[in-house]
Amino acid sequence: MIEVEALTKRYGSTTAVDGLTFTARPGTVTGFLGPNGAGKSTTMRVVVGLERPTSGATRVAGRSYADLPAPLHAVGVMLDARSVHPGRTAYKHLLSMAQTHGIGKARVREVIAQTGLEPAAHRRAGTFSLGMGQRLGIAGALLGDPATLVLDEPVNGLDPDGVLWIRRLVRELAAEGRTVLLSSHLMHELALCADRVVIIGRGRLLVDASVQEVVARSERAGAVRVRTTDPEPLARELLAIGAQVSPQDAGVLQVRGATVDDVGTAARRAGVTVLELASESGSLEDAYLQLTGDAVEYRAADAAGGAR
Amino acid sequence: MRVLRAEWTKLTSVPAHLWLALGTVAAAATTAFGLGMFVDAADGRSGAWVVTSGFVLAQIGFVVLGGLVGTSEYVTGTARTTFTAVPRRLPVLAAQVLVTLVASLTTAVLALGASYLATTWARAAEAPPLDLAVPGTGRALAGFALAAAAYALLGLALGALLRHPAAAIVGGLMLTLVGDQMLATNPGRVTDTIRAFLPSAGSRLLQDDAAVASLDAARHGPDLGTWGGGAVVLAWVVLTLAAAAYRLRRHDVR
Repeated sequence: MIEVEALTKRYGSTTAVDGLTFTARPGTVTGFLGPNGAGKSTTMRVVVGLERPTSGATRVAGRSYADLPAPLHAVGVMLDARSVHPGRTAYKHLLSMAQTHGIGKARVREVIAQTGLEPAAHRRAGTFSLGMGQRLGIAGALLGDPATLVLDEPVNGLDPDGVLWIRRLVRELAAEGRTVLLSSHLMHELALCADRVVIIGRGRLLVDASVQEVVARSERAGAVRVRTTDPEPLARELLAIGAQVSPQDAGVLQVRGATVDDVGTAARRAGVTVLELASESGSLEDAYLQLTGDAVEYRAADAAGGAR
Repeated sequence: MRVLRAEWTKLTSVPAHLWLALGTVAAAATTAFGLGMFVDAADGRSGAWVVTSGFVLAQIGFVVLGGLVGTSEYVTGTARTTFTAVPRRLPVLAAQVLVTLVASLTTAVLALGASYLATTWARAAEAPPLDLAVPGTGRALAGFALAAAAYALLGLALGALLRHPAAAIVGGLMLTLVGDQMLATNPGRVTDTIRAFLPSAGSRLLQDDAAVASLDAARHGPDLGTWGGGAVVLAWVVLTLAAAAYRLRRHDVR
């Protein structure tokens, strides 16, 4: 269980996190989303005690992180795959972590096997690819067999096999009753593995809901898409039955407030030929882009103009 | 105790640390070998001076070793891993102090042994023998190890405080070596007083009684006694460590 309560974190005049409150519950995978600079990583660093909140509080398993008697057994953390001395081997890195909690070498070898790092265990971490560094970070998070996991961009840099592995791993961990908080930019991935999503923008909470609820909120969800040879008469028919119609490119109409059946019947009345007719389902990505549209700190156009 | 084992694993698992220790031993022995060749009885140099003369170069190795241990956590991002495992943080600094102490004392003893062997040939020629009966010889030999450990700890403390290796190492060398040399070019009451209170005063521990007497004869600054130099460098180490501990406790880790 991770509780974030009215968390605010400022760096000088910049507010990275602004009054954020949410809870990640046991047995669920909570996806943590937001544009770059929204405050995700800052929030995660505060949760694991690396940074102090300016105000507000965070608790893990009901305690503040620094008060946990054995943090590695309570929380597995992977904030950045590059949290390893490049001159140290993967095995020694994990061993030095294990030694702080009296965890044995057998467990170190176990997590190395579990994360598929065996062939690389005695190589210097500096020679690792991004994906292997990511696996090492996850091995470190699993080391203490924790009830809570905090993973920042765990699928970053992984190959398709690795992505699949992470997806199964976090589902398994949640199924065992653990709390998993993971951030990602890959919406499809989160839609597949998260139960709930917390979306933030500019340090503020935008949404805290289940994935289904968020998807249902997206603009396209429940709309009907129809393509005809002659959209105008059809649009008139549809408006007459009280639907909302928004014309799109190439003879396509997006219709709200009417079912596929309604639209098909209206097309017959209007005497137009239907080329395509389908109900649209929303996606997490759509919902996310709509929600964060106003909260994006850097836009492509700004970057091109050299703004900020 | 667990944190101590973890820090020992960290220190010994980075090959660069081992190479640095080995290089420090080699630098001490090579310098002693070279300087030993030019010593003859007429210089008034003692046997202890010949064996410990490698310190002038080796001290750089100790400052760098400490500086690396103090900063590598922050430079490599290992700090994120370390301080999520030990959120109380201060045990990590304490463990680093102990492992650096052990590593630097071991390296210093090895450097002394290597220097003794490297100057065998010089002693067979003109250089004076290492005679523990000469007053202050024991202190000079122990002083080599103590000053080495103190400089390594100063490097560590500066590293933990500043979190940047270049700043820590350059600062450490200014305090232990360069500053003293620069001030020595302009002897006087003010400069000698400053020199007496710089960490470089720790190198006084390496002098036997005769050398201390000749240093004191030329001194315009305060008289801190034979062990005073050691007390000065110890005070620097303690104060810098306290500042580093304060920063570690109060500030964020990135």
